[in-house]
Amino acid sequence: MNGMERLVAAIGGQPADRIPVFCNLLDQGARELGLPLREYYSKGEHVAEAQLRMREKYGYDNLWCLFYVGKEAELLGCRKMIFAPDGPPNVGEMILHKREDIERLEVPQDITGHPAFQETLACLRMLRREAGGKYPICAYLTSSMTLPSLLMGMEKWMEMLLCGPPALRDELLAKCHTFFVRETQAYRDAGADVLLYANPFGSTDFVPMKFFLDHSLPWIEKDIQAAGAQGMVYYCGSARMNSVIGRILERTGIGAYYLSPLEEIAEGKRILGERALCCGVINDIKMIDWSRDQVAAEVKRMIDVGKPGGRFLFGTLVMPCGIPEENIRAMLEAAYRYGSLESDGLEC
Amino acid sequence: MLDHVVNAYREAILDTDRDAALRAVHNGLQEGLSAEDIVFRVVIPTIEVMLQSVSEGLGASLGQHFMTAQISAEVVEEMVPKFETATNPVGHVVLGTSHGDFHGLGKRIVGGYLKAQMIAVTDLGLNVPARRFVDAAVEAGAQVIGISSMMVHTARGEQGCLKVRAILRERGLEQKIKVIVGGAPYRFDENLYLLVGADAWAENAMAAGKVVTELIREVNGQ
Repeated sequence: MNGMERLVAAIGGQPADRIPVFCNLLDQGARELGLPLREYYSKGEHVAEAQLRMREKYGYDNLWCLFYVGKEAELLGCRKMIFAPDGPPNVGEMILHKREDIERLEVPQDITGHPAFQETLACLRMLRREAGGKYPICAYLTSSMTLPSLLMGMEKWMEMLLCGPPALRDELLAKCHTFFVRETQAYRDAGADVLLYANPFGSTDFVPMKFFLDHSLPWIEKDIQAAGAQGMVYYCGSARMNSVIGRILERTGIGAYYLSPLEEIAEGKRILGERALCCGVINDIKMIDWSRDQVAAEVKRMIDVGKPGGRFLFGTLVMPCGIPEENIRAMLEAAYRYGSLESDGLEC
Repeated sequence: MLDHVVNAYREAILDTDRDAALRAVHNGLQEGLSAEDIVFRVVIPTIEVMLQSVSEGLGASLGQHFMTAQISAEVVEEMVPKFETATNPVGHVVLGTSHGDFHGLGKRIVGGYLKAQMIAVTDLGLNVPARRFVDAAVEAGAQVIGISSMMVHTARGEQGCLKVRAILRERGLEQKIKVIVGGAPYRFDENLYLLVGADAWAENAMAAGKVVTELIREVNGQ
């Protein structure tokens, strides 16, 4: 079976050879091609080639067309990224400083035609040509309520979100919603299959439950209603989501939930039941220092909890560059071994 | 009367309602409470009660921490000039994000909580070189350096806390200045603070206030 078949089987609760395994290697692609990060991310072909090579080398089930999260800020006018030698690039210029900046913010009508999207398109073309339909191509889309933090900084956005002024806050949210809908369409048109809906502000680790119900949930509904739930995966960064996923599922129909490593997988599975795919996520920060045996033991623990009953995917967060190669291999070998469904005849 | 003010203030803090919190303390003042009462019997005990509930598993969201820190710091800043006798800060902390890190939210929340607990704060901002942390701490006579990191490579990098530790050792300052770290990577690996050479870490900004107070006592007690 290939990765797409495994994913489709897992979503539908159908038989498969093993559970799907998503391993999110991004910056490691530069190392794979022997390039500095800035040069690596300057070309879509680099990203696509490294994604294909790494998937082939390790055998996991997904591919990424994500360069770095700040790409979305570039599509909205940011011209400066700060590259580090050993970690993901940071947004180096906040484009929203004052009221007028928000009022003037323009969402591109045609994301596909935007200069900052051309290398992403080149990446997607190559991924689709080489692996389309065989391995799910993942795209990263920041929700309406989280996108402003890339445009004005987390501090200022948190303050505006909680303290207002409400009209200006809502104007910015509406523009970010428009961007989200157009960006989703652009990625779908270009061949992305799995759309990671990134929304830390949709976690009660970030906002109180009352705020979630009054503000976050209505914007999530609005985003998903306008863009469609097809291929969407709910993701709150590393923040927890079990307290809200039942409501989100009922109100939006999103069919997959990418839990926090700090979350109880059993609880997530209990809430979602047969209604959606539960993605158990390993604490990959600890994988930097763990031994191979510790990595394998943690993978086994997670899969022992998640696999029974099916509709389970094993995944990582964005794997830090510092994880030793041997630990990546130990994690994947354990995931394939303990995630096997052939011997026990379980549905995926 | 005190109970009435404390309850109104606590309720406002839990609802992240800044206006109601300020109204509660201003009503308290009008009804005869002193500025000292507001700080030491309303604001600081409220933080302690919230810290207790967080440690008992009744977690608070980042938004609640943000608002509580801002409101508490604002009230204390307003009250201190009204004290009948001048009160010295409990200690001094130099705060910043580690070299290469541009995420300032956690640092701002910690700074708010520390100010609310009468601890002086020098905020060095974002992307702070290791040497600047040490120089600023020496200049301010600070007992503690606080380094916030949102990303794994900025927490573990050689230019971050590891270098601050090396400089403190080189200058013979390790007993005079303690180092606390915080931020997302530390929440995912509770032993990481040891690996980067810090003296302590805190799981959240509210807990940071308690840990910093202990570090200040440790330094001052020597």
